[in-house]
Amino acid sequence: MRIEIDNLSYSYSAGQKGLEVKALKNVSLTIEEGDFYGIIGHTGSGKSTLIQHINGLIKIGKNSGSIRVGEFDLTDKKCDFNKLRSLVGMVFQYPEYQLFSETVFLDVAFGLKNFFPDLKEEEIEERVKTAIELVGLDYEKVKNKSPFELSGGQKRRVAIAGTIVSKPEILVLDEPAAGLDPIGKRDFLKLLKNLHKGFVKTIVIVSHDMDLVAEHCNRACVMNHGEVFAEGAPKDIFSRKNELLELGLDLPLTAYITDKLKENGIEAPNDFTEEDFIRAITKWYEGEKR
Amino acid sequence: MKDFSFGSYYPTVSFVHKMNASVKILLCIAYIVAVFLVQSFYFLGFAACFLFVIIASIFSRVPFFRVLKSVKGILFFIIFSAILQVLFNKEGTPLWENGFITDVGLLTAAFIVVRITLVVLGSSLLTLTTSPVELADGIEILLYPLKWIKFPVHEFALIMSIALRFIPTLLDETDRIIKAQKARGADFESGNIFKRAKALIPVLIPLLISSFNRADDLADAMDSRCYGKSKNRTRYKKQTVGIRDVTGFVFTAGLIVGVIFLNGVLGVAV
Repeated sequence: MRIEIDNLSYSYSAGQKGLEVKALKNVSLTIEEGDFYGIIGHTGSGKSTLIQHINGLIKIGKNSGSIRVGEFDLTDKKCDFNKLRSLVGMVFQYPEYQLFSETVFLDVAFGLKNFFPDLKEEEIEERVKTAIELVGLDYEKVKNKSPFELSGGQKRRVAIAGTIVSKPEILVLDEPAAGLDPIGKRDFLKLLKNLHKGFVKTIVIVSHDMDLVAEHCNRACVMNHGEVFAEGAPKDIFSRKNELLELGLDLPLTAYITDKLKENGIEAPNDFTEEDFIRAITKWYEGEKR
Repeated sequence: MKDFSFGSYYPTVSFVHKMNASVKILLCIAYIVAVFLVQSFYFLGFAACFLFVIIASIFSRVPFFRVLKSVKGILFFIIFSAILQVLFNKEGTPLWENGFITDVGLLTAAFIVVRITLVVLGSSLLTLTTSPVELADGIEILLYPLKWIKFPVHEFALIMSIALRFIPTLLDETDRIIKAQKARGADFESGNIFKRAKALIPVLIPLLISSFNRADDLADAMDSRCYGKSKNRTRYKKQTVGIRDVTGFVFTAGLIVGVIFLNGVLGVAV
């Protein structure tokens, strides 16, 4: 399913004098099926508001543009939002705060039972098991535990299992790595990569972590004051270094290293994923040695 | 959800807004006493009270419809007590033969409706012109005498202001959790009342847990700044009593005298 956002605008407290805040201004974006898409921006740049539109949590106002997700037209009054939400999974910032059930099993099954009330017990168990294993937890060990006994990272995994259990085609994550330590972050992104390989088709992440976007996304956009400031491959976006810095955004670490190398007369690759970067540097180093 | 504001404080600069919070609370109590002093079936005493509210709201620069809107919240309560009066008052003569609705019942009902409405109007004027923080401060000062019987006045006021402070935060949090559960297919809008109440569990439990976490964090933050280690905490905003407050006192005293006078002249005891 591809996501087409056309001319979308949104205001908080619309119509109230002095209180109105324009969160989105004529945003147009297309996210293709299969993308690992990054949305970058400051706090208050409208990223969270934008993604909440994608599964209809925020309704589109009159004359405020349109969104199509696959065959769903979100401006249509007859749009089946329940079905849409089962296909567009959304993981909020600090999703561990949404857990509430007595056991991990029940919590993960919550969404599934809401979306597919006619599912048989065995089928529910089967799908919950798959979801929990997909996020890298031991099903037998955790299924009867209270979610509140788990560690922070495990809770987050359970919350994500609770979203992917309905087999969404698109997974949207708001600041998925916030509050994780470096190792936790790395493991977590590995998990997302694995999901992207087979289970979910499209992943959209909202982040202000440039390293994460440079490393994992194939496309990205930069939001600023409710508008799309730049859109394209991360490589192209991060080459507009000065503009990004002007917006108060950071650059990936690799961009800084490239700069430093250039200052010392070493032509490093203009590539920002860690692996490519290291490969190019080693190649250069070996050529130098000879 | 976001448009909700506690006690509906109406931020503006006015005579009443600038008054001392403690004085305003006292005057509000005095006003309520005045409303309850009215005994007459002829509603002249009430007219005086109503006039008081109108004048006070002119001086507060709060639009009068905002003051009236406060009645909406307890409309059900008002109607309910009126109906009870009408149905169960046995005094007076029945309106029709063997009927259970009496003339006195109807009059008493009307009397109660006006009385409750006036009380609500006056006290909503207090919350409209006084921010929750000022209100908590004002209550703390008024409760000061209770220190003599070892009542922890300051702690009490602190609890109150923290509770008020966290209402917007918790509302935001509720909004977020509702959205998170909606994204997982939770349905809060359809079904009968029991189904809807049950649908709230996935919201209430996370909310409860996060409030406890917040309380813990706040306690740690206060501890780490040595809260409670010094005996005499000073105040960020000093409240003084000025000419406005004296005016208010005189005005309210006038109301009470007026009501008592009207009772004496036209009073027919209930």
